[in-house]
Amino acid sequence: MAETPAVTSRVRSGDSLLDPDFMARLERLEIVSRKIHSSRQKGERQSKRKGESAEFADYRNYVVGDDIRHIDWNIYARLEKLFLKVFLEEEDLNVTILLDASASMDAGQPSKLLYAKRTAAALGYLGLCDLDRVNLYAYNDRLTVWLDGLRGRRMIARLIQFLQDIQPSGKSHFAAAARQFAMRHTQKGVAVILSDFFDKGGFESGLRYLAGRRLDLYAIHLLSPQELEPDLAGDLKLVDCEDEDVAEITVSRPLLDRYRANLRAYCESIRDYCHRRGMVYLMVPTSRPFEGLILHYLRQRGLLR
Amino acid sequence: MTFLAWKTALLLAGVAVPLLLLLYFLKLRRREHTVSSTLLWKRAVHDLQVNAPFQRLRSSLLLLLQLLFLAAVLFALAHPVADFLEKPPQNIVLLIDRSASMKTLEPDGRPRLAHAKDAALDRVAGLPEKSRAMVISFADRAAVVSTFTDDRRRLRRLIEDIEPTDAPSRIGEALQLAVAYSVHAVGEHGPDGSAAVAPAGGDAAGGGPAGAAAAAGAAQAEVEVYSDGRLEDVPEETAVPIVLRYIRVGAASDNVGLVGFGLRRDFEQPGLLAVMAQVRNFGPEAVAADLSLSIDGTPISGPGGVREVRLAPAAADSSVRPPAASDPPTAETVLFEIIHEGGGVLEVRWHREDALAADNLIVAPIDPPREPRVLVVSDRPAVRALLLRGLASVGVSRVEALSGEEYAAAPEGRLTRDGRLAFDLAVLDRIDTGRLPPGDYLFFGGLPRVDGVARGELVEDQPVVAWREDHPLVRWVPFEGVYVARWSRLTLPEGALALAEGEDSVVLALLTDPGHRYLLAAFDLADTDLLSRPAWPIFLQNVVTAAVGAGLVEAARRVTPGDTLTVPVPPGATRARVYRPDGATDTLEVADRQSIPYARTQEVGFYRVVFDDPAGTEERFAANLLSPVESWVAPSEALAVGGRAVEPFTGVVRVNRPLWPWLAGAGLLLLMAEWWVYHRRVMI
Repeated sequence: MAETPAVTSRVRSGDSLLDPDFMARLERLEIVSRKIHSSRQKGERQSKRKGESAEFADYRNYVVGDDIRHIDWNIYARLEKLFLKVFLEEEDLNVTILLDASASMDAGQPSKLLYAKRTAAALGYLGLCDLDRVNLYAYNDRLTVWLDGLRGRRMIARLIQFLQDIQPSGKSHFAAAARQFAMRHTQKGVAVILSDFFDKGGFESGLRYLAGRRLDLYAIHLLSPQELEPDLAGDLKLVDCEDEDVAEITVSRPLLDRYRANLRAYCESIRDYCHRRGMVYLMVPTSRPFEGLILHYLRQRGLLR
Repeated sequence: MTFLAWKTALLLAGVAVPLLLLLYFLKLRRREHTVSSTLLWKRAVHDLQVNAPFQRLRSSLLLLLQLLFLAAVLFALAHPVADFLEKPPQNIVLLIDRSASMKTLEPDGRPRLAHAKDAALDRVAGLPEKSRAMVISFADRAAVVSTFTDDRRRLRRLIEDIEPTDAPSRIGEALQLAVAYSVHAVGEHGPDGSAAVAPAGGDAAGGGPAGAAAAAGAAQAEVEVYSDGRLEDVPEETAVPIVLRYIRVGAASDNVGLVGFGLRRDFEQPGLLAVMAQVRNFGPEAVAADLSLSIDGTPISGPGGVREVRLAPAAADSSVRPPAASDPPTAETVLFEIIHEGGGVLEVRWHREDALAADNLIVAPIDPPREPRVLVVSDRPAVRALLLRGLASVGVSRVEALSGEEYAAAPEGRLTRDGRLAFDLAVLDRIDTGRLPPGDYLFFGGLPRVDGVARGELVEDQPVVAWREDHPLVRWVPFEGVYVARWSRLTLPEGALALAEGEDSVVLALLTDPGHRYLLAAFDLADTDLLSRPAWPIFLQNVVTAAVGAGLVEAARRVTPGDTLTVPVPPGATRARVYRPDGATDTLEVADRQSIPYARTQEVGFYRVVFDDPAGTEERFAANLLSPVESWVAPSEALAVGGRAVEPFTGVVRVNRPLWPWLAGAGLLLLMAEWWVYHRRVMI
């Protein structure tokens, strides 16, 4: 589908998120759902569910009640047995992106929020290009802004604008936001969480709310290089940018070692939690080139194809 | 290097170092840094605190500087001393002079004794740990302040408690004590543990030099004298060889002192009082000031009571002994003559402020003039008549005569008054008696029945060959023209003073005991031509004068500071209160005693003894310095001991030179560096 010049120019205005070359390379990809979803509308996407599209999938024996229009009469003529042609059903995919917009996402160099916005923009762009239904939610301790039901390329500019308007603020409370999301969003589909998961209330409750919705969940854990390898020294009073909580430390090698071990353990705990519930966990350092993330890393992890 | 107080430093280190580290953890000033979340940091800190008993200290310049500062302070408190200096003695005796001259005010306004104590305290502080020290203070008498001890704190306290006196300075007794204790101490603590055999003090000669040498070969005591070197005695060389150091104290030399005093009533005109005072300049400058006289605090106005005295500067004299008091022109004797019929307290005051105040005032109690009363006891009318005539010739008109029997049978009330002899003098002719109320007695041919006095064989055909011309009782008595045919050889107790002697026996002796004064003539008046010689009235005059004090007024009641007073106790008295010049009061129990001694006369001034008898008897005494040696306050160049002069010790007394000032300075520098680093970090 060709894009209109107006849309192109508006998309170009969001250069900080996506550039045209990258957008062109994205068009060869699509978002993959590992689950069979029932959608209200037929889409362009082949579903794993056998259905009524024109693409043949298999044969099966006729049973009473089957639509007789799908009986293969040629086979009946040769074998005098009724076989039914089974076609792959094409479905409409809901792509939902949950974007952590708490204050902590503004930290890091490059900013985790920018990185998340670019990732969301890329995934949203892919969804819109594939005529998927794209939903965007930003949250901190609740859902702050959302944009749902986008479909079609003409919505790209709106999507970009929406993402650009998101500002980091507030304290993160993933569980409350996820609960609110779960009550509001009842559709199945692919859900991608972009967050640093620095939530003192814990990540488990929030993920549990989402898992209950039977979504095909991808948790993308964004961490800045400064969080992975802190370049701190001396006697410091660390101030939490969200709740201004204070931690007094004297930076030493044992302390840094302990911090790294704790970070690894924290990531492992999220990964384990996700795996046990059929979610995909991806830890992404923001130092990783964004294009590589989309074009290679997410493809390797099965989110894109 | 050794540490004199390492235990203290160790104790403080045990407290201070953990305290510093604790403060380091508590009081650290931290930089603020904003992070996305403190979640993991808090967990990390918590894990470290849980897993490690102590958080390892991060290398910190501040902490390093603070630890260095603390180390410097603790080292300073440990009192490190450099051991490359002379090794100090194991035992040391400190003799601290506290005589009158040590009251001299030095240019810094502190008394000389304070400087001496400072020097002694420094010496004690500089002693190594195993050394022991003994402290003796001395003035007219020596007092052991502390025996040998290594308790430095006690030594400090006792040295600081030494008080000055107005008494003259005599070091002999102190040196004997020092030697005695030293020999004993070395014997106890000698290196081989064997007891020393050297006897103590003046008896050391009996022990022989061998014992002394043995003691000296061991850890020999050293004696250090902290003094200005102005001593009234020249102590003899000690038999035990000791190392004697003279630590010269003081610098002030400006002083004018009253060094002589005389007080006399005119015999014929008792109301006329003659006061003689000698004032002497010991300072380097010529001085001029007033010398004034006052009675009971009231100045005698006019030239009869105030004289301006000009004195030349004292000649520079580096000899050990002070110049003679009569050396012109630095001294002047001033004679005051006033009419004063009553009693009171006489004061002579030198009106100029100088280094020593104790010698600027003389006080003397005076009694109203009175007519002497004399008792003559004789069984021979002729002799009695001669005695009465002689007494009349010297102006004594109140004379009572008794025979020996009458004397023995006389009622107590006739012979005594207030517990004393009712007469100023009793003259007994060939009477041996034991009836002797306190008083003055003159025996011719007889003897008092007191212990130690006995009559021996007769001595005949011997001239009187010697007499004490300087004694008031025989002064100006021309014995050379007196013939004594025979006299009895007397046995006298120790302490009796021979006033006139033949070739091998005493002719005239003075025996005193508390309350009594016996003048014993060993001859009978019938065996001599004394009564017809010019010597007789002079002798009689001297005796009466001494007995009644008509000439030298109350001389017995003027003492040198430190002397012991002998105060007669009136009948009925049970208690006496002594009012001292410093305002303090002593109460003495005097019941059933004839007289009481009182020795706390360390200060110059007026002492009143008030009894609680019905008459409220009051005795008055005065202590005056009157010592050219003490008034010569300029420190002596050398100390004279046993004919040799000990030069002031200027060598390495500073054994174990303390290093703490250097460490304290280093600590200060470290503190400043720490402060600078701290602020530099804060600014960053």
